[in-house]
Amino acid sequence: MIPSKQLLSEVIASLRNVIAPAVKDPYPKSQAYMAAVILEFLARQLEERTDIESAKEAELASLFGEVARLAGGDKIKGGDVPSEAALCGLIERLYNERERLGEDAFKTANGLVRASLRRLLDQELKITGKSEA
Amino acid sequence: MAERTTQEKLAEYLAAKVIPGARDIKFSNWVQTAVGWSHETFVFDADWVADDGPHRRGFVARRDPGTGLLRELSSLEEQYKVLKALEKTDAPTPKGYWYEPDISILGGPFLGMEKIPGEAVNPWSKVGKQFYAEAAKRGKLPKSFVEALAALHNLDWRAAGLDFLGVPGPGKDFALREIAKWEGLIAQSIRKPEPVLTEVIMWLKANAPSVQRLAFVHGAYRTGNLMVHEDQISAVIDWELQVIGDPMYDVAYVLSDLNREGSPLLSCVVEREFFIDYYQKLTGLTIDFEACRYYQVLYMMRTAAFWLSASGLFAEGRSKDLRLARTTYSVPVVLDMAARALGF
Repeated sequence: MIPSKQLLSEVIASLRNVIAPAVKDPYPKSQAYMAAVILEFLARQLEERTDIESAKEAELASLFGEVARLAGGDKIKGGDVPSEAALCGLIERLYNERERLGEDAFKTANGLVRASLRRLLDQELKITGKSEA
Repeated sequence: MAERTTQEKLAEYLAAKVIPGARDIKFSNWVQTAVGWSHETFVFDADWVADDGPHRRGFVARRDPGTGLLRELSSLEEQYKVLKALEKTDAPTPKGYWYEPDISILGGPFLGMEKIPGEAVNPWSKVGKQFYAEAAKRGKLPKSFVEALAALHNLDWRAAGLDFLGVPGPGKDFALREIAKWEGLIAQSIRKPEPVLTEVIMWLKANAPSVQRLAFVHGAYRTGNLMVHEDQISAVIDWELQVIGDPMYDVAYVLSDLNREGSPLLSCVVEREFFIDYYQKLTGLTIDFEACRYYQVLYMMRTAAFWLSASGLFAEGRSKDLRLARTTYSVPVVLDMAARALGF
């Protein structure tokens, strides 16, 4: 069996260099090029998926642990198991409790959250790259 | 019986509702310019015969396919009302001819407007970049670019009847309303939690600026959304995101790196210093650079909302267009831009 990475690479090359240029109608032509682009992303996603998911899980567990250790952190952390959805809730609680926490405590917790968000984002950027929005 | 084409249906509609008494309507120069992302746009010339002889007029028709990425935030009826209101002002815009809500005619609501001479050259293409770079050297188009924006910001929107768009309260209300609007689109579209986006939204809510004065704001003022004829802006088009709000919202968009793809010129056509000086002179406003930096983050959040909506339409099975599917990979990239703008 041809290795999947090589096979995907050949399909992408065929879509990009053979099929798409031969199509005259603009809409199907754009679809052929888009199929090639999406397959490129998928190839990276398949290759890195396991590593990325485990790195994200470790990052979230570490962040929730650190926030819990801050003064007033238990209330901010909430009772949820660390996950990206739970992190969204944590961020909202942090801003909503800003006045009660005081500016210094807010900044400390927000700094931890932002550093963690950067590392989570960097995991996703391994698949998407940084150049195109 | 063969299904009637869009052209045949439109010709019948024009004869019945727009130019009563017209006979032998024939279309030429028919071009469909936008497919898939927003409203479908058809540009054409119509020739017909009436009792007083032959006639010819250019039209642009836009149809809502029901799968535009702005979903219900973009309304053709509102666009038509905006065009009619702007006819009474100095803003360069096409005349609105009709709005038809009956979906049985073309499969979705549609509107008609004047075909304006010129072309909305796409600034992202190689040809477009060259077109704007050469026009910038001649100097007439950069001046016209600023004048058309100032005409929008200086117009008396209450007198023009544009207050139907909704008038924000004083202070931070405009920014908070915009955030709420885009949060609504995100809520409809999102497929998985996006904590970076949550942080960006919470920061935006906590740092909303106050407005100097309310103005009529286009919401996406850039080359590509402007018709250019003989080095002049012949019309401002793409009326989908307009609001009554902070004119700095448009200024921030012009100043943004998002719209120039590596060109040293703002919107690929105007020098930064010239834009700032001339805009301030024409409007009497002082550009608030801090507010502009804030709105640039809001634009990044808005762009994330666009991409989430586009990929959501694909995931929901409402569109089979792979260009929409591809945008799912653009979300982390625009969130990276926003994170960097906020310093993380």
